[in-house]
Parts: sequence; C-alpha cells; structure tokens
Amino acid sequence: MSFLEIFKYTRQDSVIHRLDPRTKLLLSTVLGIISLLFLEIIPLLLIILFLLPLLGAAKSLGRWAKNIKGLAMLVLFIMVFNTLFSTDPTPFSRSVSLALRLLAMMTSFSFFFLTVHPDELSQALIKMHVKYEFALAVSMAMRYVPTLGQDAYAIMDAQKSRGVELDKGNLIKRIRNIVPIIVPLIVVAIRRALSISESMESRGFGASGGRTYMDMIQFRRKDWVIVTISLVGLILVLLLKFWWGLPSWMLWQLPF
Amino acid sequence: MTIIFEDVHFAYDGIYTALRGVSLQIDDGESVAIMGTNGAGKTTLIKHLNGLLRPSQGRVILDGMNIREKSVAELSRIIGLVWQDPDHQLFLDSVEKEILFGLKNLGFSPEESEERCVTTLEKLGISHLAKRRPFSLSGGERKRVALASILATEPRILALDEPTIGQDARQKKRLAKMLREMNDEGRTVIVVTHDIEFAVENFPRAIAMANGQIVADGPTPVVLSNETVLDMCSLTPPQMTIAARELHSIIPSIPERLTHVTELEREILRAIGGES
Repeated sequence: MSFLEIFKYTRQDSVIHRLDPRTKLLLSTVLGIISLLFLEIIPLLLIILFLLPLLGAAKSLGRWAKNIKGLAMLVLFIMVFNTLFSTDPTPFSRSVSLALRLLAMMTSFSFFFLTVHPDELSQALIKMHVKYEFALAVSMAMRYVPTLGQDAYAIMDAQKSRGVELDKGNLIKRIRNIVPIIVPLIVVAIRRALSISESMESRGFGASGGRTYMDMIQFRRKDWVIVTISLVGLILVLLLKFWWGLPSWMLWQLPF
Repeated sequence: MTIIFEDVHFAYDGIYTALRGVSLQIDDGESVAIMGTNGAGKTTLIKHLNGLLRPSQGRVILDGMNIREKSVAELSRIIGLVWQDPDHQLFLDSVEKEILFGLKNLGFSPEESEERCVTTLEKLGISHLAKRRPFSLSGGERKRVALASILATEPRILALDEPTIGQDARQKKRLAKMLREMNDEGRTVIVVTHDIEFAVENFPRAIAMANGQIVADGPTPVVLSNETVLDMCSLTPPQMTIAARELHSIIPSIPERLTHVTELEREILRAIGGES
C-alpha cells in the first residue's frame, strides 16, 4: 500500500507549498475534473505532463515517482481485466486510457495532499464556511491515516507471531486472513477515537463559541492568478470537449 | 536452543537506525531482562528473534542455524513473542477462541489445544474469563489473555515486551512466578522491561541497551548497580541499592552494591552484630 504515501503531506519550502490551500484545492479539483472528462490517451497524457512540472515545483517529484511504483499492481490489474472483458472494439487501447485516467486523477489529488498540511486544510474549510467541528474532523482524519498505518503494521506483526501466514495460501485463505488484521484495527481506532474525544473535552473543546486562530491563511496575488488560470483553463477544456470537439490527433487510439 | 546475534544492524526504511552492531548470546534455558531507554532498540531487537525484522547487516543464529531461511510462522513454533499492546492481536469473540486460534495456526490437534487452553487459563488465573468477550475485559485482563494465547503454544523461547505495564502487584507476582516456572522447565525467557524491581527480583541476567547498542551485559545486580549504565539507560537504581548506599554512608562496612532484600538484611544483621 506504499502508494498511499503520495497522499501524505511532506514538509517542504516551495512556491507550491506557500500557496493558499484553497488555490491548490481548486487547481487539484479542476485537474481531477479534466481527467474525468477524457478517455483518450493523448489528452490524459497531456494532463499528466502538465502535472509533473507542478510536482517538480513542489519539490515532490522524486517522492511521487518513488511511491507511484506501488500502484503498478493495481494498474496491471486494471489493464488485464479491461483488456480481457471490455466490449470495446479496441480493448487494449481502452485499458491503457483507463490506467492513465487513474494515474492522472491520483496525481491531481496527490498534488493537493502532498503540499497541504492538515491544519491548513481545516483553515481552508473554515474560510469556506464549513463549521469548525467538521473542519477539525476532516483534518484529524487526515492526521490519523499514518497512525492507523503504523497500527496496521503492529497488528500484522502480532498476528504473524501467532502463526498467521499473510502471504500464503489460496485467494480464499488470504481473504480470511484479513479478519485477524481488520478487527483489531477497527477496535484500536475506536478506542483511540474515544480517548481523543475524552482528552479534547477535558481540555475544554467546545467550551467557548468564538474561536481565534494562530495562523490565518490569506489569498495573495499569485493565488488569484492561479485561480483565474485554472478556471479559464477549465472553461476552455469544457468548450473543447463539448462545443468545438477535439482535434483528430487527440483522438488517436492504439490499433487494438 | 542458543540464540546468537552477530553484529546485527538494522534501520527502519533503511534510514532510521535502530540497531548498530548488536552481538549477544543467550543460552538455552537462560532468563534475561533487556532494559534501556525508550527508543534504545529493545523492541527492534526482539522482533529479530522470530524474523519479523531481518538484519540489514549481521546474522541471527538460532540453534546453530541462520534464521534467514526460516519464515515467521516456522519460527513462531519455537519462539513466542508477547506484545505490549494486547489490542493489536485480540479479534475473536471469546477468550477461549482467542487462545485456540494460535494453537490451530501452529498445527496442534483440537484435543490438545483444548487441554492446553484450559491449563493456561488456570495458570494465569483467568479461567473465569474463558467465555467472555476479550473487548469487554479491562486492560490488565486483556493483557493476560494476550499472554495466555502465546503461553498456550509452550514455546521453547518466550520473549515478552513490557509485560508488567498496567498489572497490579498481585498480577506481577503471578506473572513472575509463571515465568520462573517456564524457565524451570528449561525454556528461555527474555523480557523487555522498564520495571527495574521486576528485573532485579526475577532475572539473573540483564542486558542494558542505549542508542541501538548494548552498553552492559551481565548479572543483573552488577549491571543495575552500575551508575554509568543506569544513567545511560535513564533508569533509577533498585530501591535496595539506594537503601544500601544510604546505609553505606553511615556504616561503611555495608557494601554499596546490593540489590536484594535478603542481602541487605544479612549485611545489616552482620553490621549490628546479630546472626547472619
């Protein structure tokens, strides 16, 4: 599951990291929408090619490249199944574009999660008039993903020492082997949630209505520029897709 | 079943160094306490025993054989590891089933499993919990259930990570007694602990770790009365050692380095001219 790392914030100092989280949310969403609009190989490749320099500017290209390899199995799975079972006249071409779409979507959102600290995310949500409690819940959920990952490893270790062989046996046995992992994981998560809520309440969470914040996020000129470019880009792409039609070189398919 | 670590190095994800050249030998039937600061590498060390972690450099040899070729499941028949957090392993809806689970995995027959389950629960004084749901038990009870699930497999080598945390005095005594029995049967017992009194009273040998290395290895009273070692491992000396030091400053004939009640008793009696 190492590809999940591409959704984990990394502390860096870069142009991208200094942008307002709302700008990045918009940019990621726009790119995600564009990836969903297309099932042709060339446009999807263009989206990915557009994303790579952005990741580079965020000094996260190496990290992304390293962890995206973990996606290889999933991509292979999508390709094999689609090629075998698709009713499309060119099944292989289609499965390649599906895999590319997945890659483009994941990269779009990894761009957001790699560069936005959970605290910034909750700030952004609050500025977008989401209730503080919900914003906190979202950022805490993000905060505890890696912790849950550590728990999962500890649980696997514990069960392996009791003779559970996680990577042996047929498919059914392997699926059954998930039970000894998943049940403790849920129990640990619930116990932790309870103790966090208790400790939050004992520190006066929700005691007073009006909150003030240590850090305030703020739109700067470059944020406005990027927001404008993103929105104009989205409109142009929508026009291209639904009004003007794609130029024929963009519709290119693999022959089988 | 002698355990030998030969210059074992290990780093998590290849970067976070946890062990830097650990060499040790634990003979069959020994009883050892591993002590040290948080992050000294104690847990990492015992994870090497059953192959959960593999050394990035160096070798772990069990019974004359490099364990590199052995799977965790194979090694688990010989080495039982009991973890700090019982919640990481309990997942079934009764204590009994929880104990039978490990036995089944390791290939014991149903009859034998049943029998072992009953005796283990009795030994730990939790027979009355057999039908209960593990999740409805208290923290200390869950810890004992997790312990029972490993003890039931009767491993040749038993390693426990912080078994005394959350246990009251009576449970600690019971645990100590049981570990001693296991040891008397010829099994090797290895315990990772911060509980210095527990170590002094029950384990003849102590290994002190700091910063991924072994800083002292020897008889527990010697290791745990050494000021430098205690300092490196951020441990406070055993109460008897503190008492002995205080007494030594008043009555110089009482030696400073004592760790047991009986020793101190004997020395005091001698100093005041009573029977020794």
